[in-house]
Amino acid sequence: MKKLMLAVVVLSLILMFAACAKKAPQVAPVAPVVEKVDEPVAQVEKPVLSEEELFQQRSLEELNKDQVLKKINFDFDMYTIREDMKPVMQANANWLLKFPSVEVLVEGHCDERGTIEYNIALGEKRAEAAKNYLVSLGLNTAKVKIISYGKSKPLVQGVDEATYFQNRRAEFVITKK
Amino acid sequence: MNMRRTVLLLSVFLLGCLLRGQEEITIRIKEGMPMVPVAMPAFQLDPAAQKDDAAATLYETLWKDLEFSRIFKMVPREHYSYIPAFNPGAIRFKDWASIQANILISGQLELSADDRVIFSFKVYEVGSERFIFGRNFGGKKDLVRLIAHRAADEMLKHFGEKPLFTSKIVYVSEAGNDRDIYIMDYDGHRPTRITFSSAMDMLPSWSADNEKILYTSYRNLSPELFMFNIYSGKTELLSSGGSNYAADWSPTADRIVFTSSKHGNAEIYLKDMKTGQEKRLTFNPAIDTSPCWSPNGREIAFTSQRGGTPQIYIMDAEGSNVRRITMEGSYHDSPAWSPDGMRLAFVSRIENRFDIYVYNLKSNEISKLTENAGRNENPSWSPDGRHLVFSSNRSGRYQLYLVDYDGRNVRQITAGGENKMPKWQRAPK
Repeated sequence: MKKLMLAVVVLSLILMFAACAKKAPQVAPVAPVVEKVDEPVAQVEKPVLSEEELFQQRSLEELNKDQVLKKINFDFDMYTIREDMKPVMQANANWLLKFPSVEVLVEGHCDERGTIEYNIALGEKRAEAAKNYLVSLGLNTAKVKIISYGKSKPLVQGVDEATYFQNRRAEFVITKK
Repeated sequence: MNMRRTVLLLSVFLLGCLLRGQEEITIRIKEGMPMVPVAMPAFQLDPAAQKDDAAATLYETLWKDLEFSRIFKMVPREHYSYIPAFNPGAIRFKDWASIQANILISGQLELSADDRVIFSFKVYEVGSERFIFGRNFGGKKDLVRLIAHRAADEMLKHFGEKPLFTSKIVYVSEAGNDRDIYIMDYDGHRPTRITFSSAMDMLPSWSADNEKILYTSYRNLSPELFMFNIYSGKTELLSSGGSNYAADWSPTADRIVFTSSKHGNAEIYLKDMKTGQEKRLTFNPAIDTSPCWSPNGREIAFTSQRGGTPQIYIMDAEGSNVRRITMEGSYHDSPAWSPDGMRLAFVSRIENRFDIYVYNLKSNEISKLTENAGRNENPSWSPDGRHLVFSSNRSGRYQLYLVDYDGRNVRQITAGGENKMPKWQRAPK
C-alpha cells in the first residue's frame, strides 16, 4: 500500500515537472497586462424587509409621518367609536399588538364649533374612548396615554361639514418604540 | 319655561328697539336712573402741551370712558358752537344749561420739560351753578390714558359708582403658532404680555384680589393649571395629573374651583389655596366643566352633559343641591355670573349659531346679547355689571368685543392676530 502511494506521488511529481518544463519557453517577456477587475455587481434583489425589520429601521418621527397608526373620526358632539371606524381601530390594535414595546399617545380633537372649555373635555372623552377600545382589543393600558387639545389644533381649515368631520378626530402618536 | 319662545319674543322686541332706538337720547338704565348729561369743552393747554398728542389722547380717552359708562351721556360737541366759547375764569352756566348739560367738566393740562403731564379738572353742577369736586393728576406723558381713566373713575365714584375704567382684561393672544396670555386696559389699549412659553397658554382668570392669574398651559405636555403672580412675577404649578383647566377663584375666600380629569373623567374640584386641600364636587360619568362662583361665594354655576347634552346647572359650593337652569336647546356653556348675582350670561348654540344670552335668575327671563354675527364666546362681566366682554369671529378671526348688559353699544377692542378667552377683572375690594 505504502509502495503504491509512493509510486503515485512520484509519478505526479514527474508529470508536473514535465508540464512545467514544456510550458516555460512559451512565456513571452512582455510587460504584464494589468487587467482591470471590477467588483462584480451583486445581482441579488433587495431583501424584502419584514414588518419587524421595517419597524426597527424607522425612527419615531418616520413611523408617525408614515401614519402606521390611522386616525379615526367622530360624530358631532359624540365620543363613541363609529361603526366604520372600528376596522381602523382593529388595524391599529393589530399593529400595536405586534410591537408590545410601543407606547402611544392618543390625542383627542374637536371641530371649531363649541366652547373652548367644553371641547377640552369632549376631546378628552374621545381620546379616552379610543384608548378604551384599544385596551378592549388586548392592548396594555399602561402603554396608552391620552391628551386633549380641544378645538385648538384643527387639522384642516374650513366651515363645512367635511372639514368639521376631519377635525373631530383621535390621532395616535407613537411616543416610544 | 319655553326658552325658545322667550328668546324669539325678546329678539323681536330687541329688533323693534333697535329700529326705533336710533333717535332716542335718554335711555333709562335698569335702576331707572336717567343718564346724566355731561359737557366737556376742550381743555386749557399750556404752550408746550398745545403741540403734543398727549393732550388730545387724554381728552378723547376721558370722553370715551364717560360715554361708555351708561351713567353719563355726553352732550354732543357740535352743540358747544351754539353758545359763547368756554371761559374757565367766568363760566356762564346758563349757556351750558341751554344745551342741556347738567354737569360741566373743565380741564387743564400742563406739560413739563421732563415729559411729565399735570392734569387738573374741575366738575361743576350746571343747574345750581356750583363747583362739586376737582382732582389733579401728574405722571409721565406715556401714561395719559391711565390719567384719563383715573379721572373718569373719580367721576364714577362721585356719582356713587365703583371704579371701572382702570379695570383690566386678561386674555389670550395668538400670533402665528404662539399663544400667550396678556393683560390690557378695559378699552383694549396698553396690552402687556405675561406668559412667554412656546406651548399653548389658555383660559386665564383673575384671583379675588386681582393680583394673580390662573391659567392652563400645555408646557408640560398635558394641560396643567398654573398661577402667575403679577407683582412677584412668580409662576406656580397647581395641578397634578390629567387635564386641568377652567379655574375660577372664589370672590369671598381663598379657594378655587376647576375642572380636572385626574380621576379619569372631567369633574369639578374645589381647592383650598391656603392648605392645598382638594375636594371633588361632581360625581358622574358625564362631562362636568366650566365652574363659576356666584358673587356671594355660596353657589357654583357649571356646565354638565349629564342630561345628554351640555346644559347649565347650579350647585351649592359644597357640591350638593344641584339644579338645572337651561331646559331647552342642545348646547349651553361658559356660564358667567353677574356681579350683582341676579344674572347668568352663557353661550348657547341654537340652530348652529353660537350667541351670548343672559338669563335673569329672579324673573326667569332670557335675553339675547349677540345676533347673527359669527360665533360669540366666553362672556365675562365688567365689575359694575353694566357691560360684558366676549370673543367673536364676526370679522373673520377671533377678536374681543364689549357689549352693554342689554345688547347695546357693541364695540371691537382688539385687532390683529387672534384674541380670545377674555376675563374682566373683578371689582377692587
